[in-house]
Amino acid sequence: MNPKTLLRLALLLPAIAQAASAAPKKDYIVTGSKPDRLFLIDAAARRVVGDFKIPGAHDWVGTIVPSPDGRIAYVLVNRMESIAGIDLGTGKEVFRADLSSPGERVKCLFAFDVTPDGKQMLVYEVPVKLGLSEYQVEPTRFAVFDTNAGLHAKPVREFPAPRRVHTLLTDKNDRTFFALGFDLYEYDIATGKRLETRGIRHWDHPGHSRPDLLAFWPVSEPTGIFAAPIYSTRTPAAGHGAPVPVTSLMTLNLRTGALAYHDVEKTSALIFSTVLSPTEPAAFGAYTQLTKIGLDPYRVEKRVDLPHTYYAVLVSTDGKEVYTAGAMCDVTVFDADTLAEKANIRLPGCGDQSVTSPRLVRR
Amino acid sequence: MSGMKPVNTKAQLLTEAERSGHVEEVVTMESVAGCATTFDPGWEVDPFGGVASLCQPMEADLYGCSDPCWWPAQVPDTLNTYPNWDAGAPSAQNDWRELDAVFPKK
Repeated sequence: MNPKTLLRLALLLPAIAQAASAAPKKDYIVTGSKPDRLFLIDAAARRVVGDFKIPGAHDWVGTIVPSPDGRIAYVLVNRMESIAGIDLGTGKEVFRADLSSPGERVKCLFAFDVTPDGKQMLVYEVPVKLGLSEYQVEPTRFAVFDTNAGLHAKPVREFPAPRRVHTLLTDKNDRTFFALGFDLYEYDIATGKRLETRGIRHWDHPGHSRPDLLAFWPVSEPTGIFAAPIYSTRTPAAGHGAPVPVTSLMTLNLRTGALAYHDVEKTSALIFSTVLSPTEPAAFGAYTQLTKIGLDPYRVEKRVDLPHTYYAVLVSTDGKEVYTAGAMCDVTVFDADTLAEKANIRLPGCGDQSVTSPRLVRR
Repeated sequence: MSGMKPVNTKAQLLTEAERSGHVEEVVTMESVAGCATTFDPGWEVDPFGGVASLCQPMEADLYGCSDPCWWPAQVPDTLNTYPNWDAGAPSAQNDWRELDAVFPKK
C-alpha cells in the first residue's frame, strides 16, 4: 500500500467510525451457558456474533444484567459468589466483584441489578461465617458497588436486607429499587431505608390462598414492566368444594411502581417466566409450552408445545418475535402472533444455559 | 487436655483448635450442611399429581435444579460441598455419564 492510499484511509477512518456509531440499533439476545460462556446473538440475523469466556466462572453462569447502554453484561458466576462485567464488544472482563472473603462465604441468590444511569450495582448478599466446625448464618444485606470500580470492586456501602429475596429491580428514577421476596419491598438506594412493603405472600387478592411465586428472571425489557406468573388456589364460587388452582399474572411497573395481579386461567399448564409485549395487550410465558396471554381480557389466547423445556422468554422490541431460552443449549424464535417456530439458534459448545437469565439489549 | 487422645474428627479438630486459640469455633452439635432443608417432591411428580408437567426432558432441568441447589436430597450440593460435581460436563443431555455419585468427605 502506498503512502497516498494510507493517507486517504487515515482521513476516512473518523468518518467510518462515525458511520458505525450512527448505525441504527438492533436487538441482541445475551445469554450464558456452562461452563463459562457468554453469548451475544444478533436476533434478526439468527447468528451468534459474540462468544466470550468469563474468567473464574467455576462452571456456573447465572443471572445476567446488561448495562443500560447495552455495552456490558454483568453476570453472576462462581457458584453465586462473583459478578463479572464483560464488555460485549471485546469480551474483556471490565468489572469484577468477588463477594466472599476469608472466613466469610457470601452468595448472591440471583438478585442484583444496575441503576438506570449505569453507575451503581445493587447486590443481595447472603453471608455465612465459616468457623472450624460450624457455619454461622449472618444477617442478609444489600451491598452497593460502583460499576467503574474495575476488577477488584468492593462495596461502597451496605444496609440490612430481608431474607429470601430473589430479584432486584431498579426503579427508573434512579433513587429507589424493588426487592422481590416474601413481599415486595422498595428501598432508597442512597440511604438504604425501606420505603414501602407491599403484599406478595400477603397479597390483597380476595378469595385466593397465599401464592407461590418463582421469579428469578429479572426481565423488564422492552416495556419497563416486570411480569411474572404467580400461583394460588381460589375458593370455589359456591363457597365449598375443592380449591381451584389458578394462574395469575403479576405485573410491576418500574416507572410508576404500580403493582397488579390478574387471574389468567384455571391452571392447566405451568409457566416459569413471562414477558410483556411492547405493542399489544399480551404477555408470553415459557416452560414446556409457550403461552400467549391476552391482557384484555386476561386469558390464554394460544398455547403450543415446545421441543423441550425453556425457563426464560423474551420479546423483540417491535413485538413481532418471541425468543425462548434457558435450560438447554439453544434459543428458539417464534412468531408473536401465531407462535409458529421461525428459527432455532444453537449455542456453540452446547453447554446448558441452566438458570441464566437471557436478556434483550439494544446496541 | 493432656492425657486425652482424640479418637474422631471432631475431637481432632478440637485439639488443633486449642493450639491455635479457636476452641470456641468447635461446637458439639452437628448442624445440617447443605443448601437448604427443602423437601419438594422432586422429579417424581408434578403439581397435578402426574409427570406431564415435569421438565422435558429431565436433562433440561438437571443443572437448573443443581445450580441453585433446588433438590439437595437428590443431587449433590454444588454450591457448597461438591462444587466440582459437574466440572467437565457442561451439557446434561450429552455428558450425563460423567456425573457420578458423591460420598461424604473424611
